[in-house]
Amino acid sequence: MHILISIDDTDEMKRDMIEVRGTGELAAMIAARIEERGWGRCEPVTRHQLLVHPDIPYTSHNSAMCFAAQIPGHRLPDITELAEEFLAVESAPGSDPGLCIAVPERILMPGWLISFGFMAKNLVLKKDEAYELADALGIHLSEHGGTGDGVIGAMAGAGLRFSGNDGRFRGKLKFKTANNTITVKQVCTSTIVEQVKSIKDGRVLDLEERVFLGEGPKAVLMNGLAVMLVESCSAEAKEPCQWQTCSKSRVKAY
Amino acid sequence: MWIINEQGEQVFAGGRAAWSAAAQQANLCPAFQADDEDEWVADQSVSCYNCAFRRWTRDSFVCCQPRFLGQSTA
Repeated sequence: MHILISIDDTDEMKRDMIEVRGTGELAAMIAARIEERGWGRCEPVTRHQLLVHPDIPYTSHNSAMCFAAQIPGHRLPDITELAEEFLAVESAPGSDPGLCIAVPERILMPGWLISFGFMAKNLVLKKDEAYELADALGIHLSEHGGTGDGVIGAMAGAGLRFSGNDGRFRGKLKFKTANNTITVKQVCTSTIVEQVKSIKDGRVLDLEERVFLGEGPKAVLMNGLAVMLVESCSAEAKEPCQWQTCSKSRVKAY
Repeated sequence: MWIINEQGEQVFAGGRAAWSAAAQQANLCPAFQADDEDEWVADQSVSCYNCAFRRWTRDSFVCCQPRFLGQSTA
């Protein structure tokens, strides 16, 4: 069984230099615990940017985190309980955590969930709307402290991940290479990346094409695939190459 | 480089794409603390845009450690 686990609003602004775990780290920890227990295999976490608006309480950036997992169906209640207990214990004091667990194959109106996700990027939504949709689609939605407003983002995160066309993968792509120029084939065999695309026109690069690796490249979720975006090499590039990875400031739109 | 909004918060006047100014301010700020790398948007690692104490608004961000801004105001 394929499931989506999405969380939001688990963090709080750092105060007095006290380290606060980000929502992405908590999502990765839930994924790790599922795998440690042998309850399933988890895919990488994606980050989904939601609307920044004065009427929406958020810590600093209003983003939700989601990951997919392949599990035996009978483990669904165990995983739900694990995620609920984890959020209750690990979320920052003062946060408003929400948890959404969706089983895509059981959702009869998938467009509704996807629409909710994209609406949350553009409109101020209410908690009641998230619960009504969860009820209609048979999706687990729960709150674990504070106002519980995180259920809106959690639901949206699941919808956006489900769409296959939103967000960027958590963490930097790491390459095992002595130099900074690598073929597309090497990118796809050594990382989560499944496709390398030009940010200018969306052209999919051939496996033999070479890419110069810039600072901290990231993968984005596009057409259900982990995609690394590249751009034409700048004149100042250290090594002559047709392509280079896109900088953070260019990928931030995803 | 900073303005005070109606709520008394200190808002970065450069907006969301003043990369050089945001880096310059962060380099002058003793309170700068890098946010989770997944939340970085600037290519310069030390930038107000990558700081754990910035809170995004529609057009810019609010600094949540304003007591330090007096030392970094350009």
